[in-house]
Amino acid sequence: MYKSKNRTVMQTNYLLPNKYKAFGWVLLVIGLIGGILMYSQLIDGELLNMKVFSIYNGESIFGNDQGFFKVIENGVLDEIVALFIMIGGLMVGFSREKVEDEFIYKLRKDSLVWAIIFNYFILILAVLFIYSFAFFDVLVFNMFTPLLFFIVRFNFLKHKSDSHEE
Amino acid sequence: MKNNIKIERARFDLTQAELAEKIGVSRQTINAMEKNKYVPSTLLALKIARLFKKAVEDIFLLEDHE
Repeated sequence: MYKSKNRTVMQTNYLLPNKYKAFGWVLLVIGLIGGILMYSQLIDGELLNMKVFSIYNGESIFGNDQGFFKVIENGVLDEIVALFIMIGGLMVGFSREKVEDEFIYKLRKDSLVWAIIFNYFILILAVLFIYSFAFFDVLVFNMFTPLLFFIVRFNFLKHKSDSHEE
Repeated sequence: MKNNIKIERARFDLTQAELAEKIGVSRQTINAMEKNKYVPSTLLALKIARLFKKAVEDIFLLEDHE
């Protein structure tokens, strides 16, 4: 913590400036809408076919099929959607609040811990009760759920402590 | 730990937002402290006491079981 202009602000080296938050929300919402449309088969995730550089391309990481460091053809819409959700989500979750102080910092940390525990709790249930290819969907969702649970929990706690004074 | 922030705030006729602004924290922080849901850092406690011109232990009090 340091003092500047009488602000009791937290000195954190991993938070982005507040102005990135709005842009993060735009990316995140576009990504989520794109993701829902792709999952409901309304749009095809393999659109926007183009040549991309792949470090590895194959059926499994330990197979020895298509090989390393090649330029391949791939529809990149699904990759773009995933990047929008992840980058947008990181910007939303890790940009400063307008007033970033010690209580907000605590809410953010608590929300992160909560999100990780909650995510693994859900994942344990999924391992136990979801089988076959449906589990692949679970893994896909799990790329995003820790970040999304964190954002939801953080904003929920923030608004809960924002209730108007009596 | 309990505190007299709400009483002191009334004495100085400040809203939560005005107190937050004076101390340089968010309104949520003032709200959470008044509801005893957040124990402030020593730095923040000292700033609040200085603003209200009182000793820290006149504003922040241990409860019997603490």
